[in-house]
Amino acid sequence: MTKPTLVGDDASLSRTPWLLSLPVAMGYIPLGMVFGFLFVQAGGPWWLAIASSVVVYAGAAQFMMVPMLAAGLPLATIALATAVINLRHVFYGLSLLDRLPKRWSAKAYVVFGLTDETYSVLTTLPAHTSTQHMLAITALNQAWWVAGSAVGALIGARAQVQLVGLDFALGALFAVLAVEQWRSSSNSHALWTALVSYALALWLVPHQALLVAIALSVAVGLWLQRVPKPSQTRAQPPTDKDIL
Amino acid sequence: MNNWGYVISAIAIMGLVTFGLRAAPFLAAKWLQQHTLVLRLGRFLPLAIMVLLTVHTLAGNAQSHANGPWPELAAGCTVVVAQLWRKHALLSIVLGVFVYVAFRNQWVPLA
Repeated sequence: MTKPTLVGDDASLSRTPWLLSLPVAMGYIPLGMVFGFLFVQAGGPWWLAIASSVVVYAGAAQFMMVPMLAAGLPLATIALATAVINLRHVFYGLSLLDRLPKRWSAKAYVVFGLTDETYSVLTTLPAHTSTQHMLAITALNQAWWVAGSAVGALIGARAQVQLVGLDFALGALFAVLAVEQWRSSSNSHALWTALVSYALALWLVPHQALLVAIALSVAVGLWLQRVPKPSQTRAQPPTDKDIL
Repeated sequence: MNNWGYVISAIAIMGLVTFGLRAAPFLAAKWLQQHTLVLRLGRFLPLAIMVLLTVHTLAGNAQSHANGPWPELAAGCTVVVAQLWRKHALLSIVLGVFVYVAFRNQWVPLA
């Protein structure tokens, strides 16, 4: 979502992790606050809101978990929904395969913290960035998110206001991510595939519309991509340009 | 949300699933790089899935009250236009939530 206006130029070499992490803070603190607020207003204890941001650390999935937990949905349903929402992260790693820290503990934490925003910052770093730098950026980004959640949860625990509609933040977050994915796509096939699949799924199986629409989209995607287009004959992991 | 054991289990499972997805390409790097179809699907799927999640979430919002889908359409368009124009995620989300909250709390009368 937040797209720091950084290019992988030499100027970024001299930037400290603090500066690189600042644009992310501008997004993570307020959004984390909304998450903490909604979590507590839905009846959850404040410390579990914070625990979610420490353990799960995935914005969209955390927003989605609030109504699901409030409705007491089965854990398997929650796991499946998390997998669907975070599926895009599988493809993030592909463009960082050779760039992450070599030490396994450092690598594990950076991979754990590979949110949309951390991904977009890490892919703008020069190839030989030190492990210390990558670790610091990842940890700072998560710190903003956890701090925002904590403040939001503590406000939510005291506030008596009932403001309908704050949960729109989730839909808005998805819309922002969709716009950014669209901006980096070479064409709008995926956009139309998704819209038509959803309309079909809603008509055929209204109660499982999302799952059926995803299945339809994967099928169409496989069919559309079966022959490499001339411009895509070189098989490469997505580069920075593809996503940013 | 009062059943802490349930909430803690959900948090643990969500954390494992999310970490698993983020780690998958590093564990299966060789396999993935050999299958160009997977890579090409990797360019197609993220946009399709984000569009589906957006539409599905807004449709769910629209069904949760009597005035749907007008607040969802107005606020959804606000977010998309703002994001296309300014590329500032937080601004787009705040504007969209503001428009939505205004409609849902009848600060702006609907029809």
